[in-house]
Amino acid sequence: MAYFLIRRTIGFVLTLLTVSVVVFAVMNILPGDPALTILGIEASEQALENLRRQLGLNDPVHIRYLNWIGAALQGDFGTSHSFRVPVSELIVERLPLTVSLAISGMVVTIILALVLGVGAAANHGKPGDWGVMFLAQIGIAVPSFWLSILLILLFAVTLGWLPPGGFPGWSDPVGAVRALIMPTAALALVQGAVLARVTRSSALEVMRLDYVRTARASGFSRQRVLWRHVLPNALVPIVTIVGLQFASLVTGTIVIENVFSLPGLGRLIFQSISNRDLPTVQALVMLFAAIVVTVNFIVDVIYVFIDPRLKART
Amino acid sequence: MALTQVSVAFSGAVALREASVSIAPGARLGIVGESGCGKSMLGLCLMGMVPDAAQVTGSIRLNGQELAGAPERVWRRHRARDVAMIFQEPMAALNPLKRVGETVMEPLMIHEGLSRPAARARALALFEEVGLPDPAASLRQYPHEISGGQRQRVLIALALACDPGLLVADEPTTALDANVALRIIELLVRLSKSRNMALVFISHDLAAVSRATEQMLVMYGGDIVERGPTAQVLAAPRHPYTQGLLGARPGLENRGRTPDGRRKRLVTIPGTVPPLFDLPQGCRFSGRCGQEFAPCARHRPQPTALGGGQEAACHLLSPLHAGRGAA
Repeated sequence: MAYFLIRRTIGFVLTLLTVSVVVFAVMNILPGDPALTILGIEASEQALENLRRQLGLNDPVHIRYLNWIGAALQGDFGTSHSFRVPVSELIVERLPLTVSLAISGMVVTIILALVLGVGAAANHGKPGDWGVMFLAQIGIAVPSFWLSILLILLFAVTLGWLPPGGFPGWSDPVGAVRALIMPTAALALVQGAVLARVTRSSALEVMRLDYVRTARASGFSRQRVLWRHVLPNALVPIVTIVGLQFASLVTGTIVIENVFSLPGLGRLIFQSISNRDLPTVQALVMLFAAIVVTVNFIVDVIYVFIDPRLKART
Repeated sequence: MALTQVSVAFSGAVALREASVSIAPGARLGIVGESGCGKSMLGLCLMGMVPDAAQVTGSIRLNGQELAGAPERVWRRHRARDVAMIFQEPMAALNPLKRVGETVMEPLMIHEGLSRPAARARALALFEEVGLPDPAASLRQYPHEISGGQRQRVLIALALACDPGLLVADEPTTALDANVALRIIELLVRLSKSRNMALVFISHDLAAVSRATEQMLVMYGGDIVERGPTAQVLAAPRHPYTQGLLGARPGLENRGRTPDGRRKRLVTIPGTVPPLFDLPQGCRFSGRCGQEFAPCARHRPQPTALGGGQEAACHLLSPLHAGRGAA
């Protein structure tokens, strides 16, 4: 177990290092001069040159990379060109919204998928199963931004139950929750459809196994057999997909936050890219990558807790 | 528990044809036959666990209560408490994510309403009773940490948890080493005697059945072809199929070389078991039987009493055809 954790941690660090190189390289290859973006096209060549020197843009690439990484390790991601405040401040301000959205989206996804997937497997080949699979197919086919627009049309414009977008801030908890309902639904319905299919097929596979027959022979109720014997054994592929889905959920927030005008990291990264705000984009891409890698790390550890057989092997 | 004229069919394919079996408290009954002969289906009938797609007809009575056609909810009340079952593959029959102690405690807590400590104490006593080495440590082990024989003991402990009146053991020793199998058989016989628990022992291993049981049934193609006291049937089989089955046993007496110096071949029953949807209408064994004559393919033979409680369903033995082929 200790060996497993050490190996995983090394992998974790190496992945982030690789990501940082790629991010830095891509941002430097991209056309566009940050100095020009900051000062505008009417700035004099002298002023531009001074700013470039001040920002360190004239240093060799590897020096710039090391400077950036060194500062980032100390929590200093530089100053945003467009917002004129430290990037770390921007992140701290906007992270809670995106994290809340991603976590609530994931929780709803998992609940939806487990209930529908296990229910479909239990009714294998019956109308309930077909219904769930039909809805899941639609869910997979529908892009989340389009679903968001439909939700806004129905619940905000026509029915007026929920705000169409925007975020009142955490000081208004009821308003904050109301503002997050539709974005969460837009994320979860699409991801839940994928996960429900995985859950169903994994549960069907387990239901054929001998120990499920043993559980039935022990006189347990259908529900008990399904949730206590089938589901835990069906979890390994489900957890794998949940790990992958969390990544697409985090990136999905970029689209969703723009559709619902939520001031989160997704919206911030979108704006920073349009503004050629290099320090902000670099920091945010690193942050998104770190979140995804961390979640995958957690997933690997969860496997060991689900299946005692893995503990012997790691 | 008594089955009367029970048939199980899957859209035309007959897995079990009008089987009648009654099991007295404490009795030990063996069911013998090749794969696909319906012996496991008979076992599943006793548990009400016949697959959903099957149509079951006939009467299944447990302590006087009619259970044929009863819903799952009713059957569930009897499983584990009145009838319990252990299966062929001890490797696969235990939930790999649960400690084996938890597995045995679960029915005790659910069905008997015991608290966790009480259930653990009972599970410990059961582990001792089934002869697991170091029962206290075994409670905390996972299935992958123990051997096949120990897993089968755990499954027996699980089956005994709610003190059933009948234990159905479907090929409990097939997947085990010979010496481990022998000890499992001894354990089942001992438990059946000490708890006055009926035992239905399903196997294709005649030696195992002869050790484990007092009465036996021989099945072929969904029919019960011969039955009687185990020792008597094995000593003097009357149905051609039973005779063939006994002849096909690899044993010391069949070893060695024939007088002209060739290696003795194992005697086999010619042909293979026909698929369930293509069974002969009359005697299921017709077509493979060496002593077949006119009525076999068309008419189903009825059981003929042969004395001493033995009976066999074969036209050769029927008084109607007395004298035919009485070799």
